Amino acid sequence: MFIKRRDGRIEVRLNEAGRNIVYEAFGHVVAAERDPEHDWHRRLNAPIDPSSDDDNPLAMLTRQSQISTNAELAYMTRNEEFINEQEAWAWLTTMQIALRETAATNGILNDEKWNSADDKLRSQIQTLQAFLFELAECF
Amino acid sequence: MASVKPQRVETTSSQVLTDDAVETVRPWNVLVWDDPVTPMKVVEVIFKRIFGYPNAKCTQLMLTVHNEGKAVVWSGQKDIAESYCVKLQVAGLQSTIEQP
Repeated sequence: MFIKRRDGRIEVRLNEAGRNIVYEAFGHVVAAERDPEHDWHRRLNAPIDPSSDDDNPLAMLTRQSQISTNAELAYMTRNEEFINEQEAWAWLTTMQIALRETAATNGILNDEKWNSADDKLRSQIQTLQAFLFELAECF
Repeated sequence: MASVKPQRVETTSSQVLTDDAVETVRPWNVLVWDDPVTPMKVVEVIFKRIFGYPNAKCTQLMLTVHNEGKAVVWSGQKDIAESYCVKLQVAGLQSTIEQP
């Protein structure tokens, strides 16, 4: 699905169904970062130092900015046949956020919940896992 | 423009810090928490990219997260710990900082 070329670029060999899955995943992360009402928004703003009532505002702003930058770059390049390393990193991090949030939103927080999840959800998560695994091999 | 003559600053023995006088500050830990869905390979790649650790150390840390539910992946100054924690969160891992 992802092949690293000699020139450093990564070839994206996803079919239309695969492209639609990453398109949806990237779109969700872009929306979640922008919309405080989105199901994923609160967890994207999880505590940095749980022992403190308030996190460092600069660190929070940096996190928000970097998640948005990666998600938007991934979204913009979703139809590319070749992506460079920076774009591939944006794909990996944004897909990883989408994977984790899909699981958490559906209550999959431990192995027992994962084992008892319904087939459709498991299939959706396993597809993202497969994409991530192959993309990680390119780094 | 006024000219300023450089002045030598005299250091007395009482101004020199000894080892005993250095205040020790407890380091902050960066923790990564396990989740049931993130592929192991992805965790290794993220550690390598963010910290630049050798492959063996990335694998060892990933296995600690997987087997023990969390791992301390870096320790040191608070502002740097915060910065690493943010990078890990941006990469999609569950991370926090703590001062034990």
